[in-house]
Amino acid sequence: MSQSTARYSVERATRASRVGAVVLLVIVAAIVAMPWWAGRADIRTVTEFLYILALAQMWNLLAGYGGLLSVGQQAYVGLGAYSIVVLSLKLGLNVFLAVPLAGLVAALVAVPTAAIVFRLRGAYFAVGTWVVAEIYQLFVANTASLGGGSGLSITNAVRGIPAFWREALTLWFAAAIGIGALVLVYLLLRSRFGLALTAVRDSEPASESLGVNVRDIKWVVYLASAFGCGLVGALIAITKLRLSPDAAFSMDWSVIMFFVVVIGGIGTIEGPIVGALVYFALREFLDGFGSWYLIVLGLAAILVMLTSPKGLWGWFAAKYDIRFFPVQRRLVLGDEAKESAS
Amino acid sequence: MAESSSKGRLSGMIAGTIDRRTTLKLMGGVAAGAAASMFPAPFVRASKPIKIGYVSPATGPLAVFGEPDPFTIEQLNKFLSGGLKIGDASYPVEIVYKDSQSNSNRAAEVANELILNDEVDIVIAGSTPATTNPVADQCELNGMPCITNDTPWQPHFFGRGGKPDQGFEWTYHFFWGLEDIIGSYTNLWKSIATNKVLGALWPNDSDGNAWGDGKIGFPPVLEKEGFKLVDLGRYQTPSDDFSSYISEFKKEGVEIVTGVVPPPDFANFWSQAGQQGLKPKIVTVAKASEFPAAIEAFGERGEGLTVEVWWSPNHPFASGLTGQSSAELAKAYTAATGRPWTMPVGFKHSLFEVAIDALKRAGGPGNPEAIRDAIRDTDYASIVGPINFRKGPVPNIAKTPLVSGQWQRGSNGLDLVIVENSQAPMVPVGGELKPLA
Repeated sequence: MSQSTARYSVERATRASRVGAVVLLVIVAAIVAMPWWAGRADIRTVTEFLYILALAQMWNLLAGYGGLLSVGQQAYVGLGAYSIVVLSLKLGLNVFLAVPLAGLVAALVAVPTAAIVFRLRGAYFAVGTWVVAEIYQLFVANTASLGGGSGLSITNAVRGIPAFWREALTLWFAAAIGIGALVLVYLLLRSRFGLALTAVRDSEPASESLGVNVRDIKWVVYLASAFGCGLVGALIAITKLRLSPDAAFSMDWSVIMFFVVVIGGIGTIEGPIVGALVYFALREFLDGFGSWYLIVLGLAAILVMLTSPKGLWGWFAAKYDIRFFPVQRRLVLGDEAKESAS
Repeated sequence: MAESSSKGRLSGMIAGTIDRRTTLKLMGGVAAGAAASMFPAPFVRASKPIKIGYVSPATGPLAVFGEPDPFTIEQLNKFLSGGLKIGDASYPVEIVYKDSQSNSNRAAEVANELILNDEVDIVIAGSTPATTNPVADQCELNGMPCITNDTPWQPHFFGRGGKPDQGFEWTYHFFWGLEDIIGSYTNLWKSIATNKVLGALWPNDSDGNAWGDGKIGFPPVLEKEGFKLVDLGRYQTPSDDFSSYISEFKKEGVEIVTGVVPPPDFANFWSQAGQQGLKPKIVTVAKASEFPAAIEAFGERGEGLTVEVWWSPNHPFASGLTGQSSAELAKAYTAATGRPWTMPVGFKHSLFEVAIDALKRAGGPGNPEAIRDAIRDTDYASIVGPINFRKGPVPNIAKTPLVSGQWQRGSNGLDLVIVENSQAPMVPVGGELKPLA
C-alpha cells in the first residue's frame, strides 16, 4: 500500500493554468504600456473593465466563496468615493495617494458594520447589508460639508494633473486593483485559508465541528471585500468627477456585481472575467436602446441562471475540464500507476 | 477504485486535450469579437463633418425634460441638411445624441464617450444639475468646449465648486438664477391677499438645498418681505408620504405652498393634501408643475397651480438660426408631435443655436481653443433671449429672463398664462393671478 501511495501525486496546476499564467503576464504588460500605444477611448474602456472586474471579484469572494450574500457592497463603493472628497478635495492630498487610503477607510468602517450584520444570517444578512448601505447613503446625504443631497464635483482636486498622467495613473490603479483582486483571490483560495473558506461556504456547522474558525474567516473576507470596493469607489470618483449620494451609493454597483458574477459563474475565478466581458459586450451593443438595455440584461441573467446555474464559465469548465486558475487539489496517478491500470 | 478512477481521469484528459484546442480557438474568436466591438475604429471620412455631442435625459424620472429632443434634432437636421456654411466651406453637421438616463453617473459616462469615442467638436447638455454638472465637469477636465442650460446658475456654478474670481475655462451655461425666481415668486405671492404664511417643500437635492439655503435661497428674502416660513427641513426624495408636512402646514395655517419638487413627489403631496383637507390659496411649485401632461393628470386640481415660466410662445424672441418666432416654434412642435408646447422646447433649440453660432465664429471645427474663445465672446439673440457670457453675474454664466404663470382654464384645456413679469418686463403678462378654489 505504501508503494501505491507514492505513485499518486496531488496536482495543483493544469496545462491551461500554466498557459493562463503566461497569457496573463502578457496581458498585464500590454495594459501597463497602454498609455503609449492605445487611444484615450480604449484606455478608458479598459480602465472601466478592470474596476468592474475588481468589484465582481470582491463580491465573488464574499458570496461565491465566503457564502456571505451581501447586497450592500455599494456602501463601500460610496465610502471609498467620498473618502476622495475628504482626503483630496478638503485636505488637499493628491487623489492617487488618497486611493489606497480610501480602501482603508472602507475597511475601517466595515469593522463596526460587520459586528452588527454578522449577527444576521441568510436572507436577514442580505437585507441587513442593504439597510446598512442605505444608512451610509443617508448619512452622507445629510452631511452638508460633503455636499449633502446636492452632491459635489471633485474637478478641483484633479485639475492640476496633466491629462496623460491622469489617464495613465487611473489605468494603472485600475490594473493593480482588477488584476490584484484576481491574483489575491487566487492565492487566498489556494492557501489553507481558502480550504477553510470553501468549507465554511459549503457548511458552516460542519466546518466549525472540524475546527475551522468560522468567525475569523468571515471577518477576513468581509474586510477584504470592503477594502477592494473602497479602492474601486475612489477610482470611480476620479473618473466620474461628480459625486452625489444616490449615484455613489447606487444599488446599480451591486447589481453590476451580481450580473457579472452570476453570468460568468459564481465561485470560480474565471467566471467574473467572462461575466465582465459579456457585460461590456452587451452594453456596447445595446447602448442606444435606453431602458431596453436593462431589460435585456435582466433577461440574459435569468436565462443563464435557468440553463446553467453555475454560469457560463461553470458550464464551460465542467464540459471541457479547463481551469486557468485551479484552486482545487486533484489526485493524479503517477506513470507506473497508469501503466498498471491499463 | 484506483483503476476505474485512473481510467476516467485518463479519458477525461484525452477528451480534454482534443476539446481544449477547438475551444481555445473558439475562445480566441469570442475574445477578438468582443475586443473589436469594444474598440471601434475611429471615424475615417473624407470631408470632416462638424460633430455636436448632445446629452439629455431621454429616459428616467427627468424624461419629461427630454421629450422635445427628437423634434429639436429632426428640425435641425432638416434645416442643416445642405450643410453649414462657414466662410467659403460647407460642413455637414452630425448630432450625436446620448441619453443620460436621468442619472449623473451615466451623464458623466456618455459625456466621456462623446469626448473620447465620438471625438465631437462641442458638447451641449441640458435639464437639471443631474445632467449639466457631470457633463460640464468632464468637458472642463478634458478640454472640450461645452454649453449647457436649464439649471439655475447657482446650483450649476457653485455646485461644481466654481469660484467667481476664476470661473471655468471650457464650460459655459445660460439660465436664470435664484434671485430671479425669488423675485418673481415673492412678487406673485404679494399680488393677492393672504395671511403670508408660507409652507416649503424643498428636497435634499441640488435644487432644494439651494432654494432653501439660509444665505442665497428664499428664507432671508421671505423674512425681509414679511412672510412667515414653515420649513420642516429638506425631505429625502423620492417620498410617497407627506402627512407630516401637511399636518404641520394645517396647524400653522399655511396659505401659500412652494417648493422645487420632482413630479412624482408633488403628485403624492397634492393628492394627499386634497385628502387631508389642506386648502392653500396659492401653490407655486417648480419642476413638478412645469409640464402640461403632469398638470392634466391632476384633473380639476391642476387648475390654478402657479409656476415659473422660462420660455413660452409669448416670449418676444426669435431663433437666430431658423428665424422662427417663439410662437412659430411652439406651433411647429405641436404640429409635429401632437402635444402642447413645453418650456424645454425653446431651451433645447437654443442650445443648438448658441453652439452653431460659436462654431461659425470659430471658423469651423478642428480647433477647440478657437471654439472655446468663440463661446466666451458670444453675443447672440436666441429664442430664449439674449445670450452674453461676459455680462453674467459670475464668469461663464449668461442669464435668461424669468416670469411666472398660472395654469388657467382656456378654450382648449389648461393654458399656462403669464401673470407676473417683474423680473423680465419685456415678456408680456397675459392675465391676473386667481386664488385656488
